[in-house]
Amino acid sequence: MAEAKPVDRSDATASAEDATRRLQRRIRMTQALLPVVLLLMLLGFAAAEPRVLSFGNLANVLQQASYLFVFALAQMCVIVTRGFDLSLGTNVSAVSVLSALTLTGLVGAEGNGVAVAIFAGLLVGLGFGALVGVFNGLVVAWLRVNPFIATLGSLNICLGVASMASDGRPVFNVPDAFSQIFYSGTILGVEMPIIYAAVIGIAMALMFSRTVLGRSLFLIGSNPRAAEVAGLPTRRYLTAAYVLAGALAAFGSLMLTARTGSGEPNLGGGLRLVGESIAAAVIGGVSLRGGVGGVEAALIGALFITVLSNGMNLVRVDGYIQMIVLGAVLIGAIFLDRFRRT
Amino acid sequence: MSGQNLTGLPGRPQYSMEQLTRAMLAVGLLPILLILTVVVMSIVEPKFYGIFNVLNVLRQSSFLAIVACGQMLVLIVGGLDLSVGAVVALTSSVMAKTMQAIGFVMPEAVGLTIFGGIMAGLGCGLGIGLLNGACVAFLRISPFMVTLGTLWIATGIGLLLTNGIPVYGMPDVFINDFGRALWFGIPTTVYVALGVVFLVVLLQRKTVLGRYLYAIGGNMQAATVSGVATTGYIIIAYVLCSMLASVSGILQTARLGSGQATMGGDLLMLESIAAAVIGGASLRGGIGRAEMVALSAVFLSILSNSMNLMRIDSKMQLVILGLILVAAVAIDELGKRRQIRG
Repeated sequence: MAEAKPVDRSDATASAEDATRRLQRRIRMTQALLPVVLLLMLLGFAAAEPRVLSFGNLANVLQQASYLFVFALAQMCVIVTRGFDLSLGTNVSAVSVLSALTLTGLVGAEGNGVAVAIFAGLLVGLGFGALVGVFNGLVVAWLRVNPFIATLGSLNICLGVASMASDGRPVFNVPDAFSQIFYSGTILGVEMPIIYAAVIGIAMALMFSRTVLGRSLFLIGSNPRAAEVAGLPTRRYLTAAYVLAGALAAFGSLMLTARTGSGEPNLGGGLRLVGESIAAAVIGGVSLRGGVGGVEAALIGALFITVLSNGMNLVRVDGYIQMIVLGAVLIGAIFLDRFRRT
Repeated sequence: MSGQNLTGLPGRPQYSMEQLTRAMLAVGLLPILLILTVVVMSIVEPKFYGIFNVLNVLRQSSFLAIVACGQMLVLIVGGLDLSVGAVVALTSSVMAKTMQAIGFVMPEAVGLTIFGGIMAGLGCGLGIGLLNGACVAFLRISPFMVTLGTLWIATGIGLLLTNGIPVYGMPDVFINDFGRALWFGIPTTVYVALGVVFLVVLLQRKTVLGRYLYAIGGNMQAATVSGVATTGYIIIAYVLCSMLASVSGILQTARLGSGQATMGGDLLMLESIAAAVIGGASLRGGIGRAEMVALSAVFLSILSNSMNLMRIDSKMQLVILGLILVAAVAIDELGKRRQIRG
């Protein structure tokens, strides 16, 4: 962003500071405007269908948004470094199948050893997700392959793994205890998905604001050369970003698997989930050019998309028309965002 | 030019190695791989050169080559088109619906029916292409997000029109004498594909438009400063890309005999990008030759056909394709870096 010619050193620092301040103001504006739009949208839907604002539905929206929030966070980890992760969807499918297989394989016929099985399922799922991240990260950071191509490759690989491991059929008989821990249980009346989303959100916020890794990812995204010159181990951090994205996607997949109660080879559904996760992050204000973003952005974006599709469902908009609306809203939202910035 | 030519390792001490790379530089890696696959397959599996199989491969590669050439044009200007698969589906639905409607009103006017259908199909490509181009060039929205939006819009419209059910009622002449016909023993599709590739090669080498597209992708600012109307040319690139996708959609529909909103899809889009990139087009823009991209479409089609004949599990094929894609680009990148250092 700092495009000033450094005539004099203090001048350059001043203009850089100026740019940072402008950037911050810009982000603040995005964050101020979107909630208003979100509220207007909610009220609009409520005018057509009062049930939209019922407590039950709002709780439902929150629960649904927590999945998309986790996936948007995963996507944000790499988008702030100027990348993205196309393999997220099929990674989710593969993790769902592999962890469900582990769970059903380890639980004895009499239902003993559930705790061990759940732990192993969690480990296998997160491990595979992280492994996909390692592959993406190595290919992007060390081989310098464009993230699009690298994650397109791993998209294919994960799709192959998911359908080979499951033979294309859902893996049933996931133990109830697993569903309880990751889906149906409650703590103080709050559903588990919301709790996980909140914990992950807070952890990621701390990671991005307090740790060297988090701060460095922003620098790598906004100015890779500067990051390199500053002596940051950019390759290692980049890889870490992809590993984090893979592991977060895997955790989201475990949450979804608990909800469906089976390992689904189509859980991540081609590019749909990838598209929605990127859209959520970008609508919320994460820039595809890297260096700009925040946990709040992912949250607002996820809420935005969830409220939109929930509202359209309640107002009984045809599923195909919903798709068209989603596409138009995506372009519109990003256009408005650009418009505000210039 | 094409990435394969850059994989040579100049300045290496081993003389024989250098000779080998020289030879490869002259021909390129892709043709060698292609010939190798064909030779090995012909020895291993006699069915490979059976007439039905050859015709089948030719047809498949024609469909892909046309879309990949369009994708390459967009890649050259530094863009990306995720919507090509959806445009194929939309074209198929709209064309079949139009033919059905005209055929219903005027059963005698077969010529008009076919003409109207094709025009409506191409109109879809024109419309989506203009939308993509305008959003990217005028509104400066990231091509990834724009075409993700139009992907959803086009898919939604296609499904809405057909309800996901195949549309019959196209004139028999169109299907039997064009879509499934052989001219001099070769599918009609192949002639169309050869024509398209020839025209794109001509466009790239002999026209101002072609040269400007390279210039814009190579250095947008330099092109603008030199007085190139970049906005207009970028829109033209997107329109050409979508219209070529439409052409492929028309051919596939004529071959299938019905309009289907599930045609093309994400797989075709991913394949088109893979073909363009393996054919040497760079995602950074400015590089790409139609003849190499067409060759790489043939290579990909032969490869998947060979794997089918060898009875390699279709899921395993996905994994292999993913690895080949990443490897091709990684080798390309490594070659470039070697050359810069050497």
